[in-house]
Amino acid sequence: MSTALKAMTNKRPFDAGRAAYLALNLSLLAFLLVPIAVVLIFALNPTPYISFPPVGVSLRWFEKFFASSDFMNALWLSLWVAGCVLVLSVTIGGACALALARGNLPGRAFLTAFFMSPLMLPAILTGLALFQSYLLAGIGRPTWGLILAHTLVAVPYVLRTTLAVLHNFDHRIEEAAAVLGASPIRVFFEITLPLIRPGVFAGGVFAFIVSFDQFPVSLFLVVPKGETLPVVLFNYMKFDLDGAIAAASMVSILLALSVVLVLERLIGLKAYVKL
Amino acid sequence: MTSATIKLEQVTKTFDGRVVAVDDVTLDIRAGEFFSLLGPSGCGKTTSLRMIAGFELPDSGRVHVGGRDITDLPVHKRDMGMVFQSYALFPHRTVAENVAFGLRMRDVPKPDIVRRVKAALAQVALTGLEERKPGQLSGGQQQRVALARALVVEPPVLLCDEPLGALDRKLRQQMQFELKELQKRLGVTLVFVTHDQEEALAMSDRIAVMNKGRVEQVGAPTEIYERPRTRFVADFIGEINILEDEGRARALRPEKIRFVPEAEARVGGTVETANFLGGSTLYRIRTADQRTLLARETHAGERSPRGTGDPVGLAWTDSDTVALEG
Amino acid sequence: MISRHTMSRRKALRTGAGLAAIAAVGAPSILHAQTRTLKITTWGGKWGEVMKATVLPAFEKEFKCTVSADQAFPFVPKLQSSPRNDPIYDVLHTNSNEQWNSFTEGLVMEKITIKEVPNVADVYPYAVSDKIVGVTIFTSAIGLGYRTDKGLATPTSWKDLADPKLAGVRGGYIIPVNSLGQAHLMMLGKVYGKGLTDLDAAYKALEALKPIKLVDFTGQMEKMLLSGEVSEGVIHDSGVYRYDGQNQPVDFASPSEGVLALEQVLNVTPGSKVKDLAFGYIDYMLRPDVQKLLAEAVWYSPANKKVKLDAKYDAKLLTTPAKVATLIQPDWKWYNARKEDIDARVTKILKG
Ligand SMILES: Nc1ncnc2c1ncn2[C@@H]1O[C@H](COP(=O)(O)OP(=O)(O)OP(=O)(O)O)[C@@H](O)[C@H]1O
Ligand SMILES: [Mg+2]
Repeated sequence: MSTALKAMTNKRPFDAGRAAYLALNLSLLAFLLVPIAVVLIFALNPTPYISFPPVGVSLRWFEKFFASSDFMNALWLSLWVAGCVLVLSVTIGGACALALARGNLPGRAFLTAFFMSPLMLPAILTGLALFQSYLLAGIGRPTWGLILAHTLVAVPYVLRTTLAVLHNFDHRIEEAAAVLGASPIRVFFEITLPLIRPGVFAGGVFAFIVSFDQFPVSLFLVVPKGETLPVVLFNYMKFDLDGAIAAASMVSILLALSVVLVLERLIGLKAYVKL
Repeated sequence: MTSATIKLEQVTKTFDGRVVAVDDVTLDIRAGEFFSLLGPSGCGKTTSLRMIAGFELPDSGRVHVGGRDITDLPVHKRDMGMVFQSYALFPHRTVAENVAFGLRMRDVPKPDIVRRVKAALAQVALTGLEERKPGQLSGGQQQRVALARALVVEPPVLLCDEPLGALDRKLRQQMQFELKELQKRLGVTLVFVTHDQEEALAMSDRIAVMNKGRVEQVGAPTEIYERPRTRFVADFIGEINILEDEGRARALRPEKIRFVPEAEARVGGTVETANFLGGSTLYRIRTADQRTLLARETHAGERSPRGTGDPVGLAWTDSDTVALEG
Repeated sequence: MISRHTMSRRKALRTGAGLAAIAAVGAPSILHAQTRTLKITTWGGKWGEVMKATVLPAFEKEFKCTVSADQAFPFVPKLQSSPRNDPIYDVLHTNSNEQWNSFTEGLVMEKITIKEVPNVADVYPYAVSDKIVGVTIFTSAIGLGYRTDKGLATPTSWKDLADPKLAGVRGGYIIPVNSLGQAHLMMLGKVYGKGLTDLDAAYKALEALKPIKLVDFTGQMEKMLLSGEVSEGVIHDSGVYRYDGQNQPVDFASPSEGVLALEQVLNVTPGSKVKDLAFGYIDYMLRPDVQKLLAEAVWYSPANKKVKLDAKYDAKLLTTPAKVATLIQPDWKWYNARKEDIDARVTKILKG
């Protein structure tokens, strides 16, 4: 039998299930990408409203976005807040996950539920409750208060992903290191941390995006001249519903994407996929 | 390489205040000895080993290594080697880094590390795989890395918890030989946990047979096999016939039973089943007085095995039987 | 612009720095002793630009204070959640119906009079009428916006919106969430029934407007008119006039039955610690020069009778007693009291 014939006989026969699976995936992809495409068209469209078909291509909305000090201040603040939230939630969420998975804490299930609870509460209530607490405590609405609020809702993401990694973690790997002479601290830094890192940082990426896109929690907690980008966009929309909103959304999407890519590069989220 | 004695002194370990995992165990393991802990699942082998390693603190009793009481010494200061059943290799480190780990922890100078890692890998025939990650190795190769990683620091004591359990039969036998050979060459004291009596008999200098957290008998393989002290040991090691004789139990190994003409027979019976084992056949025989006896016949020459239903005559001498306690 | 930007980054860096941040909390109160702070709400968009660039800096200079202007919605819930004796705002700027809600909850004062704000002496009567709590500083006129390129006759009556030709291309609001929609509903009662409170007539008339494109805020209505998705819709004059000079085929018509008032109202919170500044600010906002500046920036009709607008604006905005007389003020107190029932009813009508 010739090789060509052999290749033909080895070809996967048409499979309805597989075709349906592919179709499902393609439609999901379209479902995810079409809104982004619409936003892009709106952002590049010169008219202040969406017109189909687009009447031309212009960068005027991007110019307007980048020239506006309100937008730029908000963008920087959002990035700064999201960066802090990333660091804080990774530290807090990672530590909590370790304590919950490892420490022989009484009421572990309760504690886990407790740390996850910010996800159950409507975010707008979290924001409102913190707003009232801050005012009652007389601390006003400082930026660190906003960061803490975002951290509160971001920690569960880190906690979840880290717990998932720890759940599959073979404790004997750490024991092996200990027998080989590694003190508990060295075991943590040489073994535990590198192994849970993908989970922690996957959670960190979520945390960053949750904060960067956060609207409901921020709504009550931002102060005049200290508004995050989603809040500024929301209010902008009430008065000027034009392509600058779409331009801002495109910039946000690209920024979030590049943060994910940079983190991926630096930390290597995929590094341990094949364990 | 140095080796050390290990001594467990009336060690007891209870979990959750209920499960007595190890119950008043005393063991004297000699320096350079291949010592096995053998027993059925849940009898406390792993727990005993983990107390030697320092992962578990005994409720009472002391642990000595090399004459020094190390009961309260933390794991990382005990200077031991350990091989886990699951190997427990560091998945994010290469083979070389895995092996180098213990040396790095001991602040061995870098050039020495390189040299010793190379030698250790050569010793387990893994030269050339230095840069692989554990995930890219076969089970047997991972096993050897685990062994090299444990031995490269030249520990006076090597602890192995069912290290060959995950390997297929062929590889397992090969590794049994290799491990035994390596242990003898290095002279390390090796404590070997297994529930496989054949493996224990084949490899050990001495065996401790454990049951329900207690040590039933300690002795050389032949001694354990030939002179089991208790009914449990007799039963656990190999095939055995327990004969009730004036209220006292006596053990008789199947291979001590001879097939003889009926006139000379101590008992007569018929073959119920015949298990062909290659070098020998194990028969289950129903005797005239409705008991069952196991008898093993080694094949010599062209003699073909007996078939089901064949009448046989069996004989043995009293000195071949062993009196059992309890 | 550049310096502001670096400022806020530096501030952010400072506040993020853990313990240092806690130390920084004390700073505003020390500042307080020297310069007082007036906390207000204000609109965004063009209005916000003029406020931030011109009006507020001038006010701060004259009154030797700093103004913290919140442009982020929602103002009333934030005020609601802050302590009454130390409210988050000193001056609340909203449309009239929200002022009524706030007043009912005791969040703002009832009347602003000449005693506190001298310039109230010069406002048109609608600005301090019994339909208003606080004081109106500007008003818009709610009427009909329409496309000039669709061969439509210039609307002259609210009834023109029911023209069968407009089926599917007339625009209205999701009434429960938009005060223009609510005002329009009351207007339907007046036009088709016995008066603004004739809800039964209003419901019937609303039913007859289907099919209708519904939006939740006015910006969307503007865009739908601009894009031609809607040929005629309910909108305030400033929402159309703001495109003046941009060559858009849209115009605003004042129906003969009268236009609805969309008032910009300022009010003071009873718990304010700087009431004099708060009243001073309202007085300032009613000054003819400030009124002219803002009116011409966003096409709002000034409440102060003495304001003289440029001809272009004077022609279109409500700047004479005669034009002001066409304004109809909805009774928000009456409406808000039955809002839940109305919401349920109109939702049912407009569904499907
Ligand atoms: N961490 C623990 N917590 C509670 N019980 C435990 C723990 N470790 C062991 N045990 C119990 O102690 C007893 C002895 O366990 P051990 O692991 O020492 O047995 P083993 O002889 O190694 O068995 P196997 O051959 O199955 O590995 C068992 O009943 C086991 O359930
Ligand atoms: Mg075990």
